[in-house]
Amino acid sequence: MSAQPRDTGLDGAALDAALASVWSARPGLLGWFTTVDHKAIGRRYIATAFLFLALGGVLALLMRWQLAQPEGRLLGPDRFNQIFTMHGATMMFLFAVPVMEAVGVYLVPLMVGTRNIAFPRLNAFSYWVYLFGGALLWIAFLLDMGPDVGWFAYVPLSGPQYAPGKRADIWAQMITFTEIAALAVAVEIVVTVFKQRAPGMSLDRMPLFVWAMLVTSFVVILAMPAVVLASTALILDRLVGTQFFNPAAGGDVLLWQHLFWFFGHPEVYIIFIPAVGMVSTILSTFCRRPIFGYTAMVLALVSIGLLAFGLWVHHMFTTGLPRLGESFFTASSMAIAVPSGLQIFCWLATLWGARPRMAVPMLYVLAFLFTFVLGGMTGVMVASVPLDTQLHDSYFVVAHFHYVLIGGAVFPLLGAIHYWFPKLSGRMMSERLGRWAWGLVFGGFNLVFFPMHILGLWGMPRRVYTYQPELPWAGLNLFSSLSAALLALGFLLFFWNAWRSARKGEMAGPDPWGAPTLEWATASPPPPWNFSRIPVVESVSPLWDAPGELKVATGLRLDRRELVLTSVMAAEPEARDSSPQDSIWPFLAAIVTSVMLIWSIFSPWAVVWGSIPVVAALILWFWPRGTPEDES
Amino acid sequence: MRRMLLLALAVPLLQGCKRETRDLRPDPPVAAALDGVAILPIGIGGRPPEVYFALGKPYRTNAYQLSEGKRLYAWFGCPQCHGQGEGTARGPALLDGWWNYGPGLETIYLSVRDGRPGGMPAFRSRLTNDQLWQLAGYVQQLGAYSGGAAAPSRDDAPPTRPAENRAPARFAPLEP
Ligand code: HEC
Repeated sequence: MSAQPRDTGLDGAALDAALASVWSARPGLLGWFTTVDHKAIGRRYIATAFLFLALGGVLALLMRWQLAQPEGRLLGPDRFNQIFTMHGATMMFLFAVPVMEAVGVYLVPLMVGTRNIAFPRLNAFSYWVYLFGGALLWIAFLLDMGPDVGWFAYVPLSGPQYAPGKRADIWAQMITFTEIAALAVAVEIVVTVFKQRAPGMSLDRMPLFVWAMLVTSFVVILAMPAVVLASTALILDRLVGTQFFNPAAGGDVLLWQHLFWFFGHPEVYIIFIPAVGMVSTILSTFCRRPIFGYTAMVLALVSIGLLAFGLWVHHMFTTGLPRLGESFFTASSMAIAVPSGLQIFCWLATLWGARPRMAVPMLYVLAFLFTFVLGGMTGVMVASVPLDTQLHDSYFVVAHFHYVLIGGAVFPLLGAIHYWFPKLSGRMMSERLGRWAWGLVFGGFNLVFFPMHILGLWGMPRRVYTYQPELPWAGLNLFSSLSAALLALGFLLFFWNAWRSARKGEMAGPDPWGAPTLEWATASPPPPWNFSRIPVVESVSPLWDAPGELKVATGLRLDRRELVLTSVMAAEPEARDSSPQDSIWPFLAAIVTSVMLIWSIFSPWAVVWGSIPVVAALILWFWPRGTPEDES
Repeated sequence: MRRMLLLALAVPLLQGCKRETRDLRPDPPVAAALDGVAILPIGIGGRPPEVYFALGKPYRTNAYQLSEGKRLYAWFGCPQCHGQGEGTARGPALLDGWWNYGPGLETIYLSVRDGRPGGMPAFRSRLTNDQLWQLAGYVQQLGAYSGGAAAPSRDDAPPTRPAENRAPARFAPLEP
């Protein structure tokens, strides 16, 4: 044992050199495909998700163009169906959920002070599967076989009788891809948070963003199986003639809606809870004080995560459910306003008397507070059955959920990108461009979507590809469409800012904002091993409370990728463990998995023959290779 | 180089996926031209109009068109006399491979459009031209000996037979 090199007694440069030799990815293209560094994969994940945001945004602009005047001629009904389905599916499955998980993949290991995420190869696999799933959906769309059944794909519309061809199968299989990717990341984050926290970071010293990601991951793990079940049953109905959703043969149409929304409603919180964590983080840094009511905040996060599973039926109020069910779900839908409201008040209390620094991330937080409260109000409105029966499937609902999703998740996300950009790239984003973009996005957003409330109240239904000139909707639609140009301009500025700042931005240094959490205790961007020595934590805001040097743990081996495992509650050090090395197998396994999944759209035999290469790839992935990493 | 490869991949895919396009309502001139079947004087056999070829023979190769045909088949009372294809006392079977008037798509189109002397009513005044073609496509597929690469699927109805898309697919080019 004495032959193993340890980091005790080594000084900075020699230590870094030793760490670099075991942690660095291979150079060149091969390194790009084999890396398991959570930062490289997180960055990739974020960039890909933003690409899908841009694509989904283009679709939104096309729809706004089509609806700008009555009897628009830009899109036909079939194209319009595909476009609104693609817009919803892209934004929900390929942008919002992945981007939140991606930020978690990048930040959680840094925030808990460890060197890599748990199961890093699974992490790489997850990214590739996500990428291929997104490509499947978009290539199908470009081939005129994009799904056209709405992002929720209700049967019987998506069932065998009314959705001939392969369009609905593409949707269902894209879901499978994103499920695999999301579940993989959720498991990694739970394990990272539970077992890899820096020594001393007991649960009550965990940053709120990490708490948020932990709750989100549990919600993912509990919610995704419902949609796995639903989409698999749908594919079986369509491909091999099962009758899950065929009432004439004892199946049940409503079963689909229950399964879908049992996943679909928590999905909203999968997007929203991380955003809340971002808001708390940014707010605390820019007010320069710990968040007010830390324990209350954590409990609110957990109870949102739990309540998320008790609301799904409010998407189904017009399906003729028993009165008792409707009342119950009205009550539970309103109950979620309690923990959300609690958080709002904690944020307000944090702001109270503080002199927040009005940098761009903080501006986005304010935009969030304003917009999200409005969206929450309309949420309480549609939670009541009589009103919902009127408003269901109208533009009011479109306005409502864009207020909660864009206001509640995209604004905090944009703030978070500005906030953590220095960590990601080592450079600051331009403040001036950022303010312009903020103004355009925030203003443009409200101008586009506020009128939709009114359009909904005036009776304009959702998902119509055009409307007649006699109807009173033309004016507001034109206004909304014109404002969409402002919103798009804002996003363009944001992208331009990120692009330019990544190259020419001002250098940031390790901790440009004077923030309290561990990710700022290392260089920007962090080296592949994150921390040269694992930090030891003694409070919620380690960088504020220990202004000099952080305490560190020593004694780790240098001949393998080694990190510290700690206990779940108190984060007492328990063991040193190795972290897997780079490998090409996650990438190859993702390819064969994709082949199997796509093939199974066309033939059930794909599951039999296609699983052979998958098994082979997995065996090779896990084959012991006698490297130091393989020692127990 | 990479671009060329992508192109080489994209072209066959683009070709293949015409069977997914969905023409909800053909342009009026196209719809009018669809009626221009050249008929032999005996009313059997002939040639579909040029636009049918220009459209890419959608009524046999496009799952959407076929499933529309299937729906019209139920809606317009064909099962009254033809059952689910097996025939009844009032009308002949359509899936026994025997066609009184020949197996061509244009002949089937004419049977439905103009009716036949043995008791087949004319549907000319009840359906549009493209709907007649959809019906003809569906009926021809019903009687085909091998499955096509495009097919409608089962109905949400009590299952009486395997769904059309469960037949082994045949990728050979179809005659008109
Ligand atoms: C009133 C009963 C009746 C109805 C309704 C009916 N058919 Fe017929 N159909 C017949 C009879 C009888 C024949 C045989 C005519 C003959 O042989 O001269 C026939 C013949 C045909 C043929 C030609 C078969 C061959 O062997 O060449 C086709 C095709 C056809 N029907 C399709 C349809 C379709 C499609 C519908 C629904 C739109 C339909 N029929 C509705 C009674 C009916």
